[in-house]
Amino acid sequence: MHFLERRIVLITGKGGVGRTTVSAALARAASATGKRVLLTELGDPEGGYSAIGRRFGREHVAPEPVVVAPNLRLNHLWARTGHELFLGNALPGALVRAAVRSKAVDKFLTAAPSFHEMGIFYHLLTLLKATRKDGAPEHELIIIDMPATGHTLALTSLPDILLRLIPGGPIARAMREGQGFLNDPRLGEAWVVTLPEQLPVTEAIELLEGLRETRMAAGGVVLNRYPADPFTPHEREAMAEVLRSTPMHGQLEFERIGAAQHAAQRLLGAVHVPVITLPEVYAADDPDPVPTLTDVLARAMRGTP
Amino acid sequence: MSPAFDSPIAELLRTQRVVVCCGAGGVGKTTVSASLAIGAARMGRRVLVVTIDPSRRLAETLGVSRNPTEPVPLPVERQRLAGIEAPGSLSAWMLDPQLVSDNVVRGFSKSPEDARKLLDNPIYKNVTAMIAGMQEYTAVEALYQFVLDDTYDLVVLDTPPSRNALRFLEAPSRAGAFLDRRVFNLFLPGEGGAIRRMAQRLLERVMDTAFGADTRKELQQFFELFGNLLGHLNHNQAEMRAFFARPDVGFLLVTSPTQEALTEARYFEGKTRDELGLNLLGYVLNRSLAWARHRPFPRDELLPADAPAVAREALEKLRRLAGTEEALVAQHTALAADLRQRAGGAGVAWILPGLPEGASEMDALLTLSNALLTKDA
Ligand SMILES: Nc1ncnc2c1ncn2[C@@H]1O[C@H](COP(=O)(O)OP(=O)(O)OP(=O)(O)O)[C@@H](O)[C@H]1O
Ligand SMILES: Nc1ncnc2c1ncn2[C@@H]1O[C@H](COP(=O)(O)OP(=O)(O)OP(=O)(O)O)[C@@H](O)[C@H]1O
Ligand SMILES: [Mg+2]
Ligand SMILES: [Mg+2]
Repeated sequence: MHFLERRIVLITGKGGVGRTTVSAALARAASATGKRVLLTELGDPEGGYSAIGRRFGREHVAPEPVVVAPNLRLNHLWARTGHELFLGNALPGALVRAAVRSKAVDKFLTAAPSFHEMGIFYHLLTLLKATRKDGAPEHELIIIDMPATGHTLALTSLPDILLRLIPGGPIARAMREGQGFLNDPRLGEAWVVTLPEQLPVTEAIELLEGLRETRMAAGGVVLNRYPADPFTPHEREAMAEVLRSTPMHGQLEFERIGAAQHAAQRLLGAVHVPVITLPEVYAADDPDPVPTLTDVLARAMRGTP
Repeated sequence: MSPAFDSPIAELLRTQRVVVCCGAGGVGKTTVSASLAIGAARMGRRVLVVTIDPSRRLAETLGVSRNPTEPVPLPVERQRLAGIEAPGSLSAWMLDPQLVSDNVVRGFSKSPEDARKLLDNPIYKNVTAMIAGMQEYTAVEALYQFVLDDTYDLVVLDTPPSRNALRFLEAPSRAGAFLDRRVFNLFLPGEGGAIRRMAQRLLERVMDTAFGADTRKELQQFFELFGNLLGHLNHNQAEMRAFFARPDVGFLLVTSPTQEALTEARYFEGKTRDELGLNLLGYVLNRSLAWARHRPFPRDELLPADAPAVAREALEKLRRLAGTEEALVAQHTALAADLRQRAGGAGVAWILPGLPEGASEMDALLTLSNALLTKDA
């Protein structure tokens, strides 16, 4: 997995496919290899709970990263933080102090279109560039649990949009710098999480196509919640025969397993990027799928099946 | 082959002028909206469904992929296949927020000259869709006009994807923050007390340093021209709030069949019915497995006497899957019962099966519309 050599990885996909769960498991597995990992998400401006935080027993997270496990930190990207950092870098000291205190500037940054996104982006850029005393990156790998797809493309194409609007000045410089990370396939990539079902697979294939238009590299696809199949082909045939005449409990699962195999084949035939398959973890076995998924991913990272 | 149309949902579609489908992201708002609209048209109503961001395939099924400027009647051939007969009819419109917004600019700018300048302003061109709440706002603006002119008996309104079901209802106030005259005035050179002028000068310096003077001027032009529309937008906002409180305008919460639905429903009720005085019609539990509750647990007796040994071994394995499945079905069933009770006398809580093939083709939408409109589907 080249995943570990990147600086920034975006975890994308449709609603409910498991982006947050997979992000958490990836971050755990990557940090266990010794990499300094930052796991992050876009903060909810309305102040709702943190989805990623809940995976670590926290209802909320803050813009400032906190250590949650060895080599693993957690925070959220926060527009206001980005604005302050930007003002601090772009303006002379006295002006910054006045600006940060000014209600007018605050109102402007909150209300003016696209400035929310710009703040988030600038915060991300700052985290990417943060270094330790020895000059090594503070966060070697940043994993972002992205919102459901629409917005993903928005964030990756944000620098383009802003550069069209604001071709000069420090904002434009920051956007170009951000592009440098996102659009360099050695530094950044997006992973698409999907489910082994007909429609989600179609959507994942479409999403990969959409990614091509944003100039962000596609790292691969995570096929999440793949159900184990207890049946031999022979048994499957016999069972299908019985179920045709006698519907009973277990049938929905039986059919779902068949459909999952079908969907997986279609995905593998259609995409030209790596596909990592993660198992369905049954709630009866473990209500929290993250530990199991972390093990699977850790093995994939070590290159042992 | 027309079904009975005897469900409580069918009854709602007979009496409402507007049905708004709300719900969290990805739960099936767009799908349910389309299925409701098809169902109502089959019942003989003249229906418009306003959809937002449908999947490519659904847009093709509804025939709206080509023309975003106005509602498109479903082709006659398709209407026949769907079992829609006069006086019933179905039109669909895929809402394009940019287009609606452009229309507002053309209709309400001070002069055609002002309108053109705003439409050409690079800030306006690139960011309208990004303004918080603007998409919801334009959806409502469009809907309002369609209900006022009397072309349709029923408008079914889909709502934009969002993290929670209430974003849509709160959007006018979020857009309101942007549409606040005081915020706008800060960017415009002109009158004001000493403090206001100081704030403006500071802001100008900040902007000039950060973006350069050219962009700052474009921003100011944007705020100036857009500011002229505020009066209209704010007026409409007040009218629209009143409109949504009409008794023939109702809200349906589309929700997942899992336990979280209950929390969401409680919150939604509080907001719509108790706080905003809106007409809460009830719930649609999409992709519920409750319909499978009468299936038997796999027992050997269910196999035919001459079943081969391999079938018996397979049945043994099926039993393990059946345990998980039965528990899930029981959860969905209990949840539906809970919600039915919450909905009370006038409200509905309706379960909708998940279709293995997805729900973007006409066949699937017809299956769902049958399930919505008949008592024992
Ligand atoms: N491999 C898995 N096995 C079992 N359950 C899983 C697995 N992956 C995810 N889940 C469960 O699926 C649900 C949705 O997962 P998650 O919240 O990670 O999805 P998401 O894509 O982040 O959703 P959202 O769109 O709401 O942000 C959760 O209850 C999670 O525990
Ligand atoms: N009952 C169902 N059976 C099968 N597939 C369904 C069902 N309901 C919805 N779907 C499918 O699930 C996906 C999401 O549905 P839909 O687009 O209607 O959700 P939405 O709530 O409008 O999402 P968004 O919040 O992104 O607008 C679509 O691909 C749709 O075809
Ligand atoms: Mg999530
Ligand atoms: Mg939708």
